Amino acid sequence: MSAEDRDIEPALGARGGPASWRAAEPGAPVALARPGFGDAQWSYLYKARDTDYAGAEPAPGLVAEANRRMRGTPVPEVNGPLIHAPVWSGMVATYFWFGGMASGSAFVSLACDAAGDHRSAAIARKVALGAVAPAPVLLIADLGRPERFLNMMRIFKPRSPMNTGAWCLVAFSGSAAVAVGCDLIGRPKAARAVGALTSLFGSYLGSYTGVLLACTAVPLWSGSRTILGPAFVATATATGAAATRLVLVASGLPDGHPTRRALGTIETASMLTELSISAIGERRLGHAASALDRGRPGVYFRAAKTLVALGISLRLIARRTGPREHELASAMYLVAGLLFRFAWVSGGKPSAEDDEVVAAMARYRRGPHDGPRRPWQARALSVDRSRWPVPSAMQRAYGEAVRRTSLAVGRLVRRRPEA
Amino acid sequence: MSTSAPDTEIAIHRAGAQRMGFFTDTSVCIGCKACEVACKQWNDLPADGSQTGKGVSYDHTGDLSASTWRHVRFVELFEPSPQLREEAQRALDAGAGGRLPAIPAAGGVDLVDVAQSGAGGVDVADAVRKMGEWVFMSDVCRHCTNAGCLDACPTGALIRTEHQTVVLQPDVCNGCGYCVPACPFGVVGRDPDDGRAGKCTLCYDRLEDGLEPACAKSCPTDSIQFGPHDELVEIASRRVAKLHERGIEGAYLYGAGDEPEDELAGGLGSFFLLTEPPERYGLPAHADSPVQENVVPATVAAVAAGLLASAGTVVAFAVAARRGRRTRGGRTW
Repeated sequence: MSAEDRDIEPALGARGGPASWRAAEPGAPVALARPGFGDAQWSYLYKARDTDYAGAEPAPGLVAEANRRMRGTPVPEVNGPLIHAPVWSGMVATYFWFGGMASGSAFVSLACDAAGDHRSAAIARKVALGAVAPAPVLLIADLGRPERFLNMMRIFKPRSPMNTGAWCLVAFSGSAAVAVGCDLIGRPKAARAVGALTSLFGSYLGSYTGVLLACTAVPLWSGSRTILGPAFVATATATGAAATRLVLVASGLPDGHPTRRALGTIETASMLTELSISAIGERRLGHAASALDRGRPGVYFRAAKTLVALGISLRLIARRTGPREHELASAMYLVAGLLFRFAWVSGGKPSAEDDEVVAAMARYRRGPHDGPRRPWQARALSVDRSRWPVPSAMQRAYGEAVRRTSLAVGRLVRRRPEA
Repeated sequence: MSTSAPDTEIAIHRAGAQRMGFFTDTSVCIGCKACEVACKQWNDLPADGSQTGKGVSYDHTGDLSASTWRHVRFVELFEPSPQLREEAQRALDAGAGGRLPAIPAAGGVDLVDVAQSGAGGVDVADAVRKMGEWVFMSDVCRHCTNAGCLDACPTGALIRTEHQTVVLQPDVCNGCGYCVPACPFGVVGRDPDDGRAGKCTLCYDRLEDGLEPACAKSCPTDSIQFGPHDELVEIASRRVAKLHERGIEGAYLYGAGDEPEDELAGGLGSFFLLTEPPERYGLPAHADSPVQENVVPATVAAVAAGLLASAGTVVAFAVAARRGRRTRGGRTW
């Protein structure tokens, strides 16, 4: 039989076209449909008299009891995978770094204004704008469908940290651009006011990335839910201050200027804060923190810590030598910030793939049905959420409030009335 | 004990619609993978590529993904659970009158016959030895009441339908990948070629035409049952009672019939009857939407830290300015 003889017309649509179709009569029933999904009840199971498949009346509480018992037995061997590893690339980590740097610079501009150093403040505002400029590019490039990036903006959804983050990025970039614009057209007062607003947005831009990671099922991230935000803010402040300091030095801010000194202090203090927060986080995570110790994330994390330690020692030495060492230390903090971000983001993959940890976190996180714990499980349990419970009524009320807000905003911005 | 999603979350409204779901009874699953094939065919999903030779299982699919929305997990039991071992020991001690503890113990014998006749004519010791063999579980999206993917989605591509199922609209999804780690059950995946996320829609298109989903339609043993959620919970509870009556005391429901404090993600729209501890099937023993669980404490900590950092920066400058005035030209920075 030749190709011409065969009927190769597709069942739906035209050849080469999409397989879509429209019912000839709108609302007409399809051939096999039965009222009330009656076609689902084809099997013997639904002929109650013929089978005792489900022929017993459960005693009250029997099912709940059975569920509790089987979900509370000691953990057997775990047949993974349990959860999927995040699919984000290094571009996301780099974006976190730039976003953090931008918000840190915004803090610096606010502080410079408050201290009366308006020249440095104007430069810090430019640094903030420059640092936030690559952010959307990196974010868009990491999307599976970059051409659809604007879909992030089609709704306002406060319960999705990525949605609020995208809006915050827009607000921050816009306000940073307006602030720099005001500087350029010689409106310093307006620039200061808008700069203050920018730093307010910055306090979320630099920290929401931690919230975003914490709101996942990955043990490393969700286990450090109160750690990630503060740690990311600390790195953000350090990198923002370091970047601004380097730019200020290049633009000829004299030695011994209080701004230079203040920036140096801020860098070191926030890097020390980040180190101590990370240490607390690692202790609390216990076994789940091993994702930060091993493999590539481990290399990033150790390199970052080493760089911070080197930077701090340089600062101490430089008290007696010259300004060069301080500049070198700032550069080290900048790189360390990037490495911290890479460590936290890339640590998500091995953590999600560690089935034992995922299972143990899920099982031992709450509930009175916990069996005996092995030593490492007890350590994983130091992330005991039941110690800081969010009452479920409160959780529900929060969810309801959030949804109502989104719906209200949706109604406000809806372009077309519902058909 | 049927659960329901909040009204404000439902994006499509239709009079008379009720919560629909799957009840997957693994005790009658024969591992034929007809559901996997039917799902691929109906939803026009691409192949996942050659994945033979995983080295750990006869199951070559491996996992749910953006292009695999039903997956029959083959669980080779290398070690019977302590629970099962105990029950088996009891059966052994009781001699010929003992009852076999669970499905995997059967090793190819007629279960109903064994259970109803009290293991008559079956070598219990042999069955216990074979206990570490095989169970199947046809895995699928849970259509959770508290859906992590739905909470995480920044574009609104994931919506809750009038059947209270969670559906991803492929024409809206921009492939941000947030739903992938936000799912506590490892259901959603992002397709590396297509760039978008994908998961079970509970055959929303078929439901619109009044048809049952493709996997349930194709299941030869009706291990996958589809229907109104409350009716399914009723059937499933009776099934658990029946299995207990037959001596299979390890039978339980994963995702339905729990007390409120034990519910998995607020109750699952598609739930399972299992006979082994959940981890054996690659299921977490507890789960909830990670967003709902973590977003409040995480945001409070993060925003507080952000405000503190900007305040701290201002303070550092104030201190430096004051000290600068006092010791001008001192150290070089």
